[in-house]
Amino acid sequence: MSFTAKLRREAEDLLTDYTTAIDDGALERWPGYFADPCLYKIVSRENVDSGLPLALLLCDSPGMLQDRADAFTKLNVFAPRIWRHMTGPVRLTADGELTRARSNFVIFETLSGQNTHVLCTGEYCDVLVHQAGALKFAERICIYDTTMIPNSIVMPI
Amino acid sequence: MADQAITDQAWHWPAGNDRVPYWIYTDLDIYQRELERIFQGPTWNYVGLECEIPNQGDYKRTSIGDQSIIVVRDADGGINAMINRCAHRGVQLCQQDKGSVTEFMCPYHQWTYDLVGNLLGIPFQRGVKGKGGMPNDFSLADHGLQTIRVHTRHGGIFATLSSETPNFEDYLGERILGYYDRVLDGRALRLLGHSRQRIGGNWKLILENIKDSHHASLLHVFFVTFGLFRVDNESRIEMDPTGLHTALSSIRGKQELNEGTAQMLSFDSDLALGDPRLLDTVPEFPGDQTVVMHTIWPNLILQQQSNTLATRQIVPRGPGAFELHWTFFGYQTDDEAMIARRLRQANLMGPAGLVSIDDGEIIERTQNGIRPNPNGMGIVEMGGRDEEDADHMVTEVALRAFYKGYRNVMDL
Repeated sequence: MSFTAKLRREAEDLLTDYTTAIDDGALERWPGYFADPCLYKIVSRENVDSGLPLALLLCDSPGMLQDRADAFTKLNVFAPRIWRHMTGPVRLTADGELTRARSNFVIFETLSGQNTHVLCTGEYCDVLVHQAGALKFAERICIYDTTMIPNSIVMPI
Repeated sequence: MADQAITDQAWHWPAGNDRVPYWIYTDLDIYQRELERIFQGPTWNYVGLECEIPNQGDYKRTSIGDQSIIVVRDADGGINAMINRCAHRGVQLCQQDKGSVTEFMCPYHQWTYDLVGNLLGIPFQRGVKGKGGMPNDFSLADHGLQTIRVHTRHGGIFATLSSETPNFEDYLGERILGYYDRVLDGRALRLLGHSRQRIGGNWKLILENIKDSHHASLLHVFFVTFGLFRVDNESRIEMDPTGLHTALSSIRGKQELNEGTAQMLSFDSDLALGDPRLLDTVPEFPGDQTVVMHTIWPNLILQQQSNTLATRQIVPRGPGAFELHWTFFGYQTDDEAMIARRLRQANLMGPAGLVSIDDGEIIERTQNGIRPNPNGMGIVEMGGRDEEDADHMVTEVALRAFYKGYRNVMDL
């Protein structure tokens, strides 16, 4: 089915605003891109392919999103770094009342005095819903391909 | 950055076990000796959980030190391990981290092995049209895969490259075995998933990190604030006679200001979780302990923190790097609520863990500080200079015990 230009533009704005907020280090904006209820997961391709439920990071409520944002900004100890999300074009599909979106991502990570490296590559599998007049993520499942994470993933992706 | 060698200097441990010379984290020759004496030596190396390979032909590829190995379940339900290397020309047989096969075949010249490691056949063994082929006295039976001794206990799989390794139960010692059996108590395990990370530090630093009970009260704001692992908690640090295995156990404390927390810069009595389900813990083990962190020499961290259970396998990658292979698990008897709880609490640990992010980062930072200073040394005097068990966490005793054992093994 075809999507209205408006919905496509809204989806592209949401996805772009989301990665821009993270790359800007504005994690306080991060929980606001999600609906309530919501599901955010970072999962490995390996676990998905094996049918294993473990996530690298799992938030299944707005409160958990907020706790993660707080941890990243106030609690965790890590070296300063710059992240750059590069995302591919969005493929939208309709699933009943839901809109699904898929797009690829690469995240480059730069630490002071070191070469920029690829933190991980993968795919976003999203479910988008309108809530309170704005398009939000009901689900954002980040499936990463990278089998060996270079140290840690210190922010949401 | 290149790892440094200081081979022109004799290795001389500077003093007692309350000092740790930095060259043990940077020197290539020390690293080589570690591979030989520790990982290829008389040690039981953790290589996986039985629930990872439940069915006949299921295998996983893993490592003991720098040695790639295959762990596979055979037709009789037994578990075998062999070096991941074709007996013919040395080609690695398995390129996948896991899978299921009926036999292993090397793609180069199609030498084929069964699930126990026996060589089943070689193409053209008798030649073609009467020409070529292997000599008549070539025996398939003499050219199987190099097999490795394996021991399983309550779902954990261990392997050793040495014929001199004592039996597993004696190797752990009665007390550490007791802790091991507390978590791996014989119930069938449920595999929840894997994660892997590579950290730019020496492999011993992660063992130290887990044995270092008092850092958790300072570095880990999350632990401190919510009392999961903190110096004012009732705790025990227990070692085996070698000093190499340790069990750190503790009882969760409250989010309150007291003599301990008042000294922690990072303690915040007002911080509240937006979703308290993260710390919704259900007691499930005998005794009062809410956390037991086991370090089982040389390559296993067995973690029970609240309801999140995991093994971390340490794979050294030269003096300046190691990998952590995490496997999270529960029990087959878990109900849906318990599975969900374990998955939620897994947020604490792993390469994006609320707590363990700090450790990966601090280890790399330690290595960066140590690398240019192999002749410096670390101070390990918190709690005294002895190596005896402790009934509190304000101590580095498990590090001293660890280096007592390490020096014995390494002859340093």
